[in-house]
Amino acid sequence: MSYKVTEEGNIATIHLDGEIDMDVVEKAKEVIFPHVDAGKEVHLNLSQVQYMDSSGISVLIESHQKALEKNTKVIIKDVSKSVLKVIMMAKLEQILNLE
Amino acid sequence: MGETAQLNHTEKKAFLVNSSSLKDVRIFCRDVFEKLHIEQDLKDELVLAIAEAAQNIVKHAFKNNANANELMVVQISCENKKLEIAFYDRGTPVDPKKVKHREIDNVKPGGLGTFFIQEIMDAVEFRDGNKPWINHLVLTKQL
Repeated sequence: MSYKVTEEGNIATIHLDGEIDMDVVEKAKEVIFPHVDAGKEVHLNLSQVQYMDSSGISVLIESHQKALEKNTKVIIKDVSKSVLKVIMMAKLEQILNLE
Repeated sequence: MGETAQLNHTEKKAFLVNSSSLKDVRIFCRDVFEKLHIEQDLKDELVLAIAEAAQNIVKHAFKNNANANELMVVQISCENKKLEIAFYDRGTPVDPKKVKHREIDNVKPGGLGTFFIQEIMDAVEFRDGNKPWINHLVLTKQL
């Protein structure tokens, strides 16, 4: 998994690239959580993520819940069809902020 | 599903029991399903189910602490349009009664892997693991 982060004002835009599984999940947390903990609005672009397993979905849930605690939000953008299917299988499409 | 999904075909491969093997498990599965001409959406689902089962071996049967040379075996068989995926490992014996996913409406991190497997596959069964194996999980799906 690789990533790119750009920050503008209170918005951190994070592009993840690759496959998100148990092996890279700690790295994904290290990339995302500090921005959420800092109270930033996080735009998580998943257009280049073609595979995500339950570990990756757990990171999305944890990011979302952390953001709520910090009165901010994580917006998931440009999610690929294959990852959207997994999000929907987990019945999270109405819970997570998808754009 | 393409025509050749009707072919009888079996392949198995051993993987080291660690999280970095999960990518190799997915590559193996995609390769086999390619040979079986299984259509993309179903292939994605099957790969997810298999990877989740392999992850459970790493995470639960070995609690992320397998011996460096410990192996798990994944076997994919397709016979008369019935797909059977078998997993063999020598981790802590699994009590099938304790294998449960979380309540899906109770949104929290974790507990989704088993749910995904059950959603995707027709049947999930733990069989007796013949020596040297301890756990023998079998997932099946009619194609």
